Amino acid sequence: MQKHNQKEHLYKLLVIGDLGVGKTSIIKRYVHQNFSPHYRATIGVDFALKVLNWDAETVVRLQLWDIAGQERFGNMTRVYYREAMGAFIVFDVTRPATFEAVTKWKEDLDSKLILPNGKPVPAVLLANKCDQGIDVLMNNGIKMDQFCKENGFVGWFETSAKENININEASRCLVKHIIASESDPVQSVEPDIIKPHLNSSKIVSCSACFKS
Amino acid sequence: IDELRKLSWSGIPKRVRPIAWKLLSGYLPANVDRRESTLQRKRKEYFAFVEQYYDSRNDENHQDTYRQIHIDIPRMSPEVLRLQPKVTEIFERILFIWAIRHPASGYVQGINDLVTPFFVVFICEYIEEEEVENFDVSSLPEEVLQNIEADSYWCMSKLLDGIQDNYTFAQPGIQKKVKMLEELVSRIDEQVHRHLDQHEVKYLQFAFRWMNNLLMREVPLRCTIRLWDTYQSEPEGFSHFHLYVCAAFLVRWRKEILEEKDFQELLIFLQNLPTVHWGNEDISVLLAEAYKLKFAFADAPNHYKK
Repeated sequence: MQKHNQKEHLYKLLVIGDLGVGKTSIIKRYVHQNFSPHYRATIGVDFALKVLNWDAETVVRLQLWDIAGQERFGNMTRVYYREAMGAFIVFDVTRPATFEAVTKWKEDLDSKLILPNGKPVPAVLLANKCDQGIDVLMNNGIKMDQFCKENGFVGWFETSAKENININEASRCLVKHIIASESDPVQSVEPDIIKPHLNSSKIVSCSACFKS
Repeated sequence: IDELRKLSWSGIPKRVRPIAWKLLSGYLPANVDRRESTLQRKRKEYFAFVEQYYDSRNDENHQDTYRQIHIDIPRMSPEVLRLQPKVTEIFERILFIWAIRHPASGYVQGINDLVTPFFVVFICEYIEEEEVENFDVSSLPEEVLQNIEADSYWCMSKLLDGIQDNYTFAQPGIQKKVKMLEELVSRIDEQVHRHLDQHEVKYLQFAFRWMNNLLMREVPLRCTIRLWDTYQSEPEGFSHFHLYVCAAFLVRWRKEILEEKDFQELLIFLQNLPTVHWGNEDISVLLAEAYKLKFAFADAPNHYKK
């Protein structure tokens, strides 16, 4: 039952990244709480809806737009991006080429979409398939926090749609930044850096599956 | 061949479908005496392509294409035999060779689906259709599989020749057809059209896939095969008649569409249409409706222009 003083927000979120990185799997996990290793390749755009009880006063409805990985090569993304409030950019930690494509996706996004206040839309980077045990990031010594800062991501997470790791957390992070950018259009939000649960001295990621 | 087209329009019996499809697609000549030699020549030609190009799949300029195909194959229609290594290999070769030989489009997601109906129909020459789902393809003789592979390649190529602008850069064919679908629907069912418009549902959001995958994602495989009997009998079946089928398909759900009262629900419905139990009957009705539309509008384009 909806309370009288409850506020409702509706946000359109994009999920983009190269083909086969697990965009559809992340959404299915998030929305339907299940996983299949063989979702069909997305054609054009797929649509899903997730309702979050954000806090006692706020309900957040998320429109998730799952955009086909090959779309960057056409001009369709411009149509799909319209009026989005935030974005997840996904890559596959087992395939370095998909990480290299992240900056291209970010550029594509920022060149076609700007918030009404003139800022780029908040974007969270997802390093998916972290259950696979092949950690391209660490092997390459890429400093993810640095990378996020340089490329304008508000945060990053190591995720696994298969093992249900960090997807809810990533979403809360993105929504938090969207709400903040809405309520305070001038001041920007600090990049999201959450310390790992363990008493690790390194502040590397928001990720629960970070392997030290 | 005209006689065959007429007969095939309303559905081809399983038994003769493989040969009928090869004839209708233009792969086999109508002349009986030349058929066997054509088959042999074309099959040889295909495997010469394989020999010539397939090793280049890991070359720098082709590895992206190959990798995309490799990722997409296990993600195809769940109904088919896609997880058998033998089938995966065959599909990878067919798609890679096609992509290399058609650089204007290259491999575009969705094209992978278009091999399946040919492959399944041609394999049914050797097994019962009911067995397809759990049939071990590697139990067929190597030579038979090679023939099926080459035949599937050529028939798929013929199909794609007719709709190539669907897959060239920015997919202009699809953009155009989605636009035409919108115009057509606004003429034949203004109420549905207005309803979609009111709730800000754009045709591109659901019909892109209808065009890109020729409705294969919207109906079960058995229905696609039946649909293709007609598409191959109809002049410009895949490129033009398909548009009328899409319009009939959309309007088919008018009741459900008009009941949905918001953008979210509408789009989720349109992207997940309940066709799981569809059979030949449903397709026949759809095709009859499409034919009526074509008859009413095709020769009078101004009828459906605003």
